[in-house]
Amino acid sequence: MILTATHTTTYLYGSPVSICHTQVHLAPRTGPHQRVVSHELEVRPEPASLLTRQDYFGNEFTYFCIHEPHRTLTVTALSQVDLHTEEPPHEGLTPAWEKVRDDVHGANGDETFRALEFTFRSPLVKVGPELAAYAAPSFVAERPIAEATFDLCHRIFLDFRYDKRATTISTPVDEVLKSRRGVCQDFAHLMIACLRSLGLPARYVSGYLRSGKDSIGAEASHAWCSVFCPGFGWLDFDPTNNVMPRQNHLTIAYGRDYLDVAPVNGVAIGGGEQMITVSVEVLPAA
Amino acid sequence: MSQSATESDPRLSTLWQYRPARGFHDEMMTAAGEIRPQWRGLVDLLNQIGPEGLNLRWQEGRRLIHDNGVTYNVYGDPQSTDRPWPLDPVPMIMDRAEWAGIETAIIQRATLLNQMLADFYGPQQLLRAGKFPPQLVLEHPGFLRACCGAPLPGGIYIHSYSADIARAPDGHWWVLADRTQAPSGAGYALENRLVSGRVLPDLFRSENVRRLAPFFQSYRDMLRGLAPKRENPRIVVLTPGPYNETYFEHAFLARYLGYTLIEGGDLTVRDNHVYMKTLGGLLPVDVIVRRQDDSYCDPLELRSDSMLGVAGLVEAVQAGNVAVANALGSGLLESAAPAAFLPILSKHILGEELKMPNIATWWCGEPASREWVADHLTNLVIKPASPNLDFEAIFGPKLSLREREGLLARIKADPGAFVAQEQVSLSTVPVAREGLLHNRHLVLRVFAVASGETYVVMPGGLSRITASLDSLVVSMQYGGGSKDTWVLADAAAPPFSLLRRTAGPLPVSRATFDLPSRMADNLYWLGRYLERFESSVRTVRAVLPRLYQDADPVSSAALSVCRQVLRGAGYLRGKPEKDKDEPERSPERSSDRPQIGEAEVLALVADREERRSLRSGVGQIRHVAWLLRDRISADAWRVLKHLDQQFTGTPPPEPLRVSWAQDLLDRAVISLSAFSGLATENMTRGHGWRFLDMGRRMERGLQTVRLIRDGLGFDGLPGDPELAAVLEIADSTLTYRSRYLNSIQADLVVDLLLLDEGNPRSAAFQISKLRKHVDRLPESHPASGHPKEARLALSMLTQIQLAEASELIRVDKEGRLADLEQFTASLTAELAMLSEILSRVYFTHAVKSRQLTGQ
Repeated sequence: MILTATHTTTYLYGSPVSICHTQVHLAPRTGPHQRVVSHELEVRPEPASLLTRQDYFGNEFTYFCIHEPHRTLTVTALSQVDLHTEEPPHEGLTPAWEKVRDDVHGANGDETFRALEFTFRSPLVKVGPELAAYAAPSFVAERPIAEATFDLCHRIFLDFRYDKRATTISTPVDEVLKSRRGVCQDFAHLMIACLRSLGLPARYVSGYLRSGKDSIGAEASHAWCSVFCPGFGWLDFDPTNNVMPRQNHLTIAYGRDYLDVAPVNGVAIGGGEQMITVSVEVLPAA
Repeated sequence: MSQSATESDPRLSTLWQYRPARGFHDEMMTAAGEIRPQWRGLVDLLNQIGPEGLNLRWQEGRRLIHDNGVTYNVYGDPQSTDRPWPLDPVPMIMDRAEWAGIETAIIQRATLLNQMLADFYGPQQLLRAGKFPPQLVLEHPGFLRACCGAPLPGGIYIHSYSADIARAPDGHWWVLADRTQAPSGAGYALENRLVSGRVLPDLFRSENVRRLAPFFQSYRDMLRGLAPKRENPRIVVLTPGPYNETYFEHAFLARYLGYTLIEGGDLTVRDNHVYMKTLGGLLPVDVIVRRQDDSYCDPLELRSDSMLGVAGLVEAVQAGNVAVANALGSGLLESAAPAAFLPILSKHILGEELKMPNIATWWCGEPASREWVADHLTNLVIKPASPNLDFEAIFGPKLSLREREGLLARIKADPGAFVAQEQVSLSTVPVAREGLLHNRHLVLRVFAVASGETYVVMPGGLSRITASLDSLVVSMQYGGGSKDTWVLADAAAPPFSLLRRTAGPLPVSRATFDLPSRMADNLYWLGRYLERFESSVRTVRAVLPRLYQDADPVSSAALSVCRQVLRGAGYLRGKPEKDKDEPERSPERSSDRPQIGEAEVLALVADREERRSLRSGVGQIRHVAWLLRDRISADAWRVLKHLDQQFTGTPPPEPLRVSWAQDLLDRAVISLSAFSGLATENMTRGHGWRFLDMGRRMERGLQTVRLIRDGLGFDGLPGDPELAAVLEIADSTLTYRSRYLNSIQADLVVDLLLLDEGNPRSAAFQISKLRKHVDRLPESHPASGHPKEARLALSMLTQIQLAEASELIRVDKEGRLADLEQFTASLTAELAMLSEILSRVYFTHAVKSRQLTGQ
């Protein structure tokens, strides 16, 4: 099924910005569950320079620079993606979580070595005994990893309240664990932190949700978590919506946490007060 | 004692009372008290000149350090941001053969570390093959993923390397620590050499000490080679700024090597190329010698909270348009942990044993190491495995049983965060203190720079000594010292210095357009603060003698004027700056005994807490002059330091205070003139000087207009006492008398202070100068037609030229000087606007950048 995603970010400034340098992670990546049909990026005002390359994790990103004074900056990404609506593997068939942990730390072969990177701390994902303790009831001995992870995902969905005012992007996971509130980024970071505290490889996925499906977090960019399972590859879990993503999730980029794949990240000179509006619409292609 | 006895049985004269400490290797003396061969020349000299002779020679050394302004910043010391560099007169001496061993070991180590970085930022084979723990790279905050795969000229990550080495009791050298990203100390080593070469010139020549200059020539050649495409590449030294602990060295090295010293704010990235922002426009930069941590270098792709960085620098590096030395990301190896793996990696990568051992190191992330560490904790030092783990080294022997258990629990919970090392044992060296030789521990910092496929080692280094014999920590922050390091050669080296030599003939250049905009900004404000301070000093100086005069109308009126002026300038405690609603302005009040007392005036002069005291004015000047340190001559800097010291002294007890203050202010005026003279006389008449002078003119213009406003007021014609006081504060009494003798008239005073272009203290004079400066500024915005600042200056000047003093002091129906009020208000507003435009056009970068985030 082909989906069309339109993602618009607008900055309004109180006084003119003379120069801005911006980096965007807005191009979807092709993977086992999706193929990119087309992608366009439109920036207003016209950047003086713009270039696109791959980051460390293989995500495509664009860097641009605007030199003319401006009070409004608009970044629009228009993407068409073909989703394979393939059923996720039966949870019970995946290996025991302890085996996954030991395999990855044994690091044989390229794929496991790459997964190893996602067992470590990263700037927004701490690990610790409290996080491991929260995860523990789901990770009983010998439980298949997908089953245990889905259980963790389910518990986060039930225990935490979706609250846009409770957190900012820099709220640490242990605070989210205490307050039990947050948005999709917080839940993804929390789940990743729980998994890494157990020594499991977990990464942060940034993307979109299909609009009009009663999902939480569809009006802006979305985020969820992915866990590595040798033999099955990376399995996605969305703790905000309590699902293993299938036909409603469109992947843009992945990394260790939000900072690796922030949709729009920039440095502006001047500007005074700023107001940001973001809109995302994902619909089946006509 | 005969000559021959000295030569066959070299011993140090007992006059020096030097006794090596037991249990350590002493660099100069064997356990039997024999002087080691390489020290004999020095010992002969010491015996010959004696403590007094050394002291005499050392006076010259101290003077040099003082004159060159060699300093080291101490963090968290608000009283003084810089301390004189602690150098010991006795050099550390190394013989040729021993040095050759150190040299090859350092080359090997730099090569090894460089290859490790090339792997970590490239194929990561060492991690995949388990030769190096992945966690130490992949979890390390210094692993900058954005820099992976960047095209680096020659594959060099570590262009400049340094290691701290120390000697164990058995005489062997050990490596204590590596500096891989922005090693400091080479400049201090050079400075130490300049001093010690002057203090011991005879010995320096007779002992054939190896020169340092060829090393710096290699450094320059290497940097030049990083921009092979350019005939004459622009190389800059990037410093975090004057508050960095080793800023002196950044400035000194930049000057010595002939590069521009810049801060992150001076650079900008356009179209993936790096440029330096100057008054004359943007100049391309080819090579950046980096003296700040790499994670602070680009707020866009590295640390977003950095104010020191250059947005877009990483992309410029990735595009191969600029070279950064050391490479961004080379800080990854700057921790204690990698040392644990170097012996194995040396064999694996280079196929050879490590030539100089590390201090024994265990990384607790490995289970076997962790167990070993737990069993031997009482003999070990525990350190963080990466710099973001914020704890100081923990000394195992000093821990109580309880603390030991607590530490073990912490290690168990997060083993990868901890590194254990053996306690170091440092050798001792003689240091001169109060006419005697004492011993202190030594750590030698050695330096290498990349040269083709290999490295070149500086023949010498920075010897650092502990503050006491009990301490094993060498740190300038904690009161340690330093020494010059002599490596002896077989034959005399030909003299060679970069200061006298340039790579090729340089074209004559008179343009100074490449003044960084930030410098122009600072110079402008230096000018303004100097003038502001001077005018306040003059005002207070006019008050002081009148405090004890009888309340005659003349001196009361003068006091009142001073008071209004000081209040208008924002001085005097608790009073708002604006004067619209002040009832005391009425004329009958001015004949009252003015409410300005001795205590108030003294507080104004030297109050430590008072934000608006004159003393704080010195602080302002000092701060901005500090930002300009490498542009201000040592002489001018000394005058400023002296002024600062005068104000920071403790006032004497009561009866002497006023005369003390009077004296202080008299001397302050002289110091200020000296500073201005030195700062401006030696400055090329380029844009740097121009901005400094514009700052002075702007401030003096504003102050003079304000003096008329606050001193005369607009409520009717001012009386003679007020006019006299205003003339005195404006330093125009003599000029007035020479023109008009003793009869004081309001229109003549107004003419002299506002409209007379011939009076160097008048507003007209300042505006006419400002106009000339503005016309000579580089047009950085040619698109906007005739520049706004030029039109504004011209309009002000025309207003002044068309004005008539007799008309300005006309009293209106309400008995007020409405015309004068309007005229001064308009001048004040226009001067302020001109200042605003200058900042916008020439210093725009001063606006702080901010972070955008979006979802």
